[in-house]
Amino acid sequence: MSLFLIAALPFLGAVFPALLIRAGRNACASAAGAVTLLALIGVLVNAPRVMAGGVVTAQIDWLPQLGMNLHFFMDGLGMFFATLILGIGLLIIIYARYYLSREDPMGQFYAYLLLFQGAMVGIVLSDNILLLVVFWELTSLSSFLLIGYWKHLPAGRQGARMALAVTGAGGLALIGGMLVLGNIAGTYSLSEILDQKELIQSSPLYLTALILILLGCFTKSAQFPFHFWLPHAMAAPTPVSAYLHSATMVKAGLFLMARLWPVLAGTDAWFYIVSTTGLVTMVLGAVIALFKDDLKALLAFSTVSHLGLITLLLGLGTQAGALAAVFHILNHATFKAALFMSAGIIDHETHTRDIKRLGGLRTLMPVTFVIATIASLSMAGIPPLNGFLSKEMMLEEISHTTWLDSHWFFPVLATIGALFSAAYSFRFIGHVFLGPVRDDYPSKPHDPGVGMWISPAFLVLLVIAIGLFPEAVAGNLVRTVTDAVMGEYGDYYPLKIWHGVTPALYMSGIAVVGGLILLALHRPLDKGWIATPRPEAKTIFDGLVGALTRACRGITDTLHDGAIGRYAAIFIVFVLVLGGYAFTTGAMGPQTRPMLEIEVLPAIGWFGLVAATLCIVAFHRNRLLSLVLIGVVGLVVTMLFNYFSAPDLALTQLSVEVVTIVLMLLALNFMPKTTPRESSVGRRTRDVLISVAAGLGVGGLIFAIMTRGFAFDTISEFHLANSYKGGGGDNVVNVILVDFRGFDTFGEIIVLGIAAIVIYAITEAIMQTSVRARLLNRVPDQPVAGDAHPLMMVVVTRLMMPVALMVAAYIFFRGHNLPGGGFIAGLIAAIAIIMQYMASGFGWAAARQHFPYHGIIGSGVLVAAVTGLGAWFNGMPFLTSAFGYIHPPGLEEFEWATAALFDLGVFLAVVGAVLLALESLSRYAWNPNIDSRHPMDINPSRDDNGRVIRKD
Amino acid sequence: MIQADLNTILPEIILAVFAMLGLVAAVYTSKDKLAPALVWVTGILMVLLAIWIGAAGGVDKIAFNGMFIDDGFSRFAKIAILLSAACVLVMSQEYMKRRGLLRFEYPLLVALSVVGMMVMVSAGDLMSLYMGLELQSLALYVVASLRRDSAKSTEAGLKYFVLGALSSGLLLYGASLTYGYAGTTLFSGIIQTAIHGEVSVGLLFGLIFLISGLAFKVSAVPFHMWTPDVYEGAPTPVTAFFATAPKVAALGLFARLLHDAFGAAVSDWQQVIALLSVASMFLGSVAAIGQRDIKRLMAYSSITHMGFALMGLAAGTVFGVQAMLIYVAIYITMNVGTFAFILSMERDGQPVTDINALNLYSKREPGRALAMLVLLFSLAGVPPMLGFFGKFYVLRAAYEGGLAWLAVAGVVASVIGAFYYLRIVYYMYFGEEGSELETNRSPVLWVFLMASAVIMLLGVVNMFGVEGAAAAAAATLVN
Repeated sequence: MSLFLIAALPFLGAVFPALLIRAGRNACASAAGAVTLLALIGVLVNAPRVMAGGVVTAQIDWLPQLGMNLHFFMDGLGMFFATLILGIGLLIIIYARYYLSREDPMGQFYAYLLLFQGAMVGIVLSDNILLLVVFWELTSLSSFLLIGYWKHLPAGRQGARMALAVTGAGGLALIGGMLVLGNIAGTYSLSEILDQKELIQSSPLYLTALILILLGCFTKSAQFPFHFWLPHAMAAPTPVSAYLHSATMVKAGLFLMARLWPVLAGTDAWFYIVSTTGLVTMVLGAVIALFKDDLKALLAFSTVSHLGLITLLLGLGTQAGALAAVFHILNHATFKAALFMSAGIIDHETHTRDIKRLGGLRTLMPVTFVIATIASLSMAGIPPLNGFLSKEMMLEEISHTTWLDSHWFFPVLATIGALFSAAYSFRFIGHVFLGPVRDDYPSKPHDPGVGMWISPAFLVLLVIAIGLFPEAVAGNLVRTVTDAVMGEYGDYYPLKIWHGVTPALYMSGIAVVGGLILLALHRPLDKGWIATPRPEAKTIFDGLVGALTRACRGITDTLHDGAIGRYAAIFIVFVLVLGGYAFTTGAMGPQTRPMLEIEVLPAIGWFGLVAATLCIVAFHRNRLLSLVLIGVVGLVVTMLFNYFSAPDLALTQLSVEVVTIVLMLLALNFMPKTTPRESSVGRRTRDVLISVAAGLGVGGLIFAIMTRGFAFDTISEFHLANSYKGGGGDNVVNVILVDFRGFDTFGEIIVLGIAAIVIYAITEAIMQTSVRARLLNRVPDQPVAGDAHPLMMVVVTRLMMPVALMVAAYIFFRGHNLPGGGFIAGLIAAIAIIMQYMASGFGWAAARQHFPYHGIIGSGVLVAAVTGLGAWFNGMPFLTSAFGYIHPPGLEEFEWATAALFDLGVFLAVVGAVLLALESLSRYAWNPNIDSRHPMDINPSRDDNGRVIRKD
Repeated sequence: MIQADLNTILPEIILAVFAMLGLVAAVYTSKDKLAPALVWVTGILMVLLAIWIGAAGGVDKIAFNGMFIDDGFSRFAKIAILLSAACVLVMSQEYMKRRGLLRFEYPLLVALSVVGMMVMVSAGDLMSLYMGLELQSLALYVVASLRRDSAKSTEAGLKYFVLGALSSGLLLYGASLTYGYAGTTLFSGIIQTAIHGEVSVGLLFGLIFLISGLAFKVSAVPFHMWTPDVYEGAPTPVTAFFATAPKVAALGLFARLLHDAFGAAVSDWQQVIALLSVASMFLGSVAAIGQRDIKRLMAYSSITHMGFALMGLAAGTVFGVQAMLIYVAIYITMNVGTFAFILSMERDGQPVTDINALNLYSKREPGRALAMLVLLFSLAGVPPMLGFFGKFYVLRAAYEGGLAWLAVAGVVASVIGAFYYLRIVYYMYFGEEGSELETNRSPVLWVFLMASAVIMLLGVVNMFGVEGAAAAAAATLVN
């Protein structure tokens, strides 16, 4: 059968139990069993070829450029594990059929179980390390679903999370390790990687890959210090524990170590990391297991211990070690699965797993007693059972292993491990089955139906058969598998029970006798154990997770305190760092332009600018003062523009400055005089430092730019050359605005108009709400000036109005050739009108304003558009300007350009927009109750109440 | 000439004109009563445009003297943008309506920002870049503070706006420096300067500032500060939108700028992008652990994911860009599904975003919980979900681009990051009994959630052909 089919069968088959559950529990279980059986047959069909030393392969390219392909291969190791997974899987399916109660959703259970099975088969058959990783993670996922199967059990929650966190993190580390490994070897194909031992072991990345991969293996196989999750995962239903946590999933780590053995093993790093970890795990697991009262916890720690044993054997890096490891994998799977199922039976029948509440079941549950006893004895290493054989091989191998030049370290610890192992095995028998029959079992125990004990019974038969006739039953298999692990053919002694009197036999003897003594002393020892303070892995894990969470929250809270000041500070500091990076890595050309002479006037201007800026920072809490200072900055900038021959800019700056200051004055009306002091000294110091650094950085950058030539000529030359010729004007700035970039300007006045109308719309909308009443009842924080409209001011503004409008007209007309233009003229006209509002009051001014500002804006845009369209009649593109000269009789030659008309549009739009915006905003401040209808207060023709005195 | 140019940007024009007509129509009719229909029409229009762009593709066109480029890369990004925006719009309709947030401006603002995004990914010039970027950003600023009566939402919107303005200013500064030292704003011209001469400090500063400005848009650390606040403060559908289409657009623009304009100076920006990438991955992962609010958590998750996407970009190779595109395509698909779930979380008709509310969710809603589990595992990058492939692509791109340290850092960050996704799974499957979470029964949300989860599973077969499309798209970008 194709390997694809074998790997795919459990996945495809997972649908059946989920669907067939409606047809009954038997149909459901049969479907799951049939699928598994089919896959198992598929493996066995290929077995003869593999046993003969062949390798079965199947390949489909999937994502070839990623190196990720659906390549499968089955050699001895793969076949061995696949048989183990499917075979025990079949037994578990039978067992679970009788174990699960009617309330449990069985279809779901079998579906998850088959998913898991498929993932496991995928791992062991993958010929692509990335594919292997994919299946690896799938096992984490499906096992999560299985552990979470009994959602109602609160005890399992912590354990499930822990299992997921530990194996999940390990899995991700494994991905990293596999990527590194694949990159060293230049391929992700497993069979190709296995041929490259020298290349991989000489690579500087070897250790990185090794550690990452081992992290994955150790977490999955519950090796110290990651062993703690396995006992906590025992909250799963017992079939799951038996399948995942003893026979298959936890062996995935061992499988991977065996799989990569040819390329990773044989170095010092491998030996010290793997074998030491294995040894520590083995001893620790065995010791803890002895003191567990929960049957499944005892078995869980014993599993940890045995996994440690196998890891230890793999870590030795010798042929005999590998052989023993393979043999023990087989033996452990048989007796431990049987034991778990027995524990499940006991739990199922007596409704408790607490050893302290059990005892004397020997007569009540004879079948279970026989099965469990044989399996336990095998676990304890009693001949002639299979556990004894592999343990002997292990001890034999250990007895001549030196660790850091110490000849006794490994043997002694291994013996201690074996001793405790024997002790807890005996305890399993002694405290559960032997002893007097009690009368306080939670439920009356009796042997279960044959369906439940047939599976463990079959396994126990295997235990005995392998124990008695190791060579006949398992000899070939173990040797083929070991060859596959080693990647070469080796010479082996046949497996046999009796090796003569060897050191290993002494150690075994010590272990068994010592185990019996320990069991006898169990009660006092247990008291001592409970009294001894010891690090509880779970507490440490929880503490670690908690501390991590707190630390993370700490980091986050510091960075994200919600204050925009901090955000901006981080932002700017990082930009500074980046700027520093650019500065240090870039090629700084030499200074190409000479410095200008520093003259007195600009120097004074510069000092004024700096001083005003510093004063703003210093006095920013006083709003009015800082507004004045902002005005000063604006004026100094205006003067500097003027000094550097940019009168247009200067004029624009000046008028914009005035308008904006007026606008801000309006806003100040609603604000307290000073801003509150919110920041601490430390924060202000920080801000000062950052802003000084940023300012200096930007300044330095600008300085560097200005003292070096640009990569190309500036565009000014073009404008200077074409301004008169093409645009008919001497003032380049104005020609740019109305001609070269007329389209831009057209767009801008539209935007300006829209902005003003939006301001109007928003203020209007707000004034419709309760805000209006609040504004009307507002009590100013300081007394209002007695004379709202001072006589002098009123008189002057009214007198100045025609003059100002005249200036605007003048600026407008001369704009094409001299500094000026529609934009500036518009601002000046707007200022002239604003002054009327300010001096004489809103009501007075509004009453005398007959043209709505919307209309002015609209007419401005319209005039500009019509001018632009006019060009079409001339056969030119939109907004092409034309100009000519006319000689009015009696006057000098007069130039007229369509640009002037366009400028008129700009003028109107600017006037309308500025006034509409200001008028809208000033409506907030306008209070009809205090507004004087008669701004020029002294009028002999009126009385105090404003009534006109009739003089008849 | 102009005819051909206009034809090239016809999709953008159609969407823009639609948005404006919609605005006028809504103002002059029944205003917000039109909104539900408008949402659907906008969504359908976007899907149609996406189909059109996909079907019409093939020939690369350059319009407006190189300011606008219509190539495989931009088409890939546009389809992703349009489809994700359409999904989010359709998902949000019911949610917004029930909470009285469904104003007619919402779909139109989304449409306008999508126009901006389409221009962004097609930009071939610093000016069209800025135009697209600002069109997008301005619409997003408004959308972010759509919930006007909530102090949190408006504060978040304001912060976003202020910092966004800062970054825009920085970007403009960089653009003018680049112009000053390259003598042109065209990407094709800038790259010539970089090829011929040594990259001058001025150009380098320009590049750095441009990167900083764009880093803000993709919310890369340390320019990410606005992200958690906006994600938390904005209405959930808006958050979903923020997490999908704008990310594609910003990354697309990032890639285009770096490769089209500065492709000759890879070594100059590689380290910076790598730094942004590693900082985003780590901070995003670490900060997400402490979060209790699922929207805030998704904000940090998106920061992490952007870090991974930038990793592909940092590789500076064709494969890197391909990896980035695949990553982003997968990322937005996952996010659409995840947000479809978050949108359906409620209790007594009120939206719930507390993670604790998910306690034992799997017991009540096994189907949805399973879909969420798939999505979360995919977000964490656990094989065999599609999310793993995205991560794998960028990790490989970084490794092959000579940034082995970055790839290692990426692995470590994804291990850290996996923790908080798994925590949600843990709550759903093993939490403690608490007040129950109700689920909105909206079929639309259900379909999106399930479809997204199924894609995460089935996508492993051949990634629905995205891989080839991304490879072709990347090839048109990197020469």
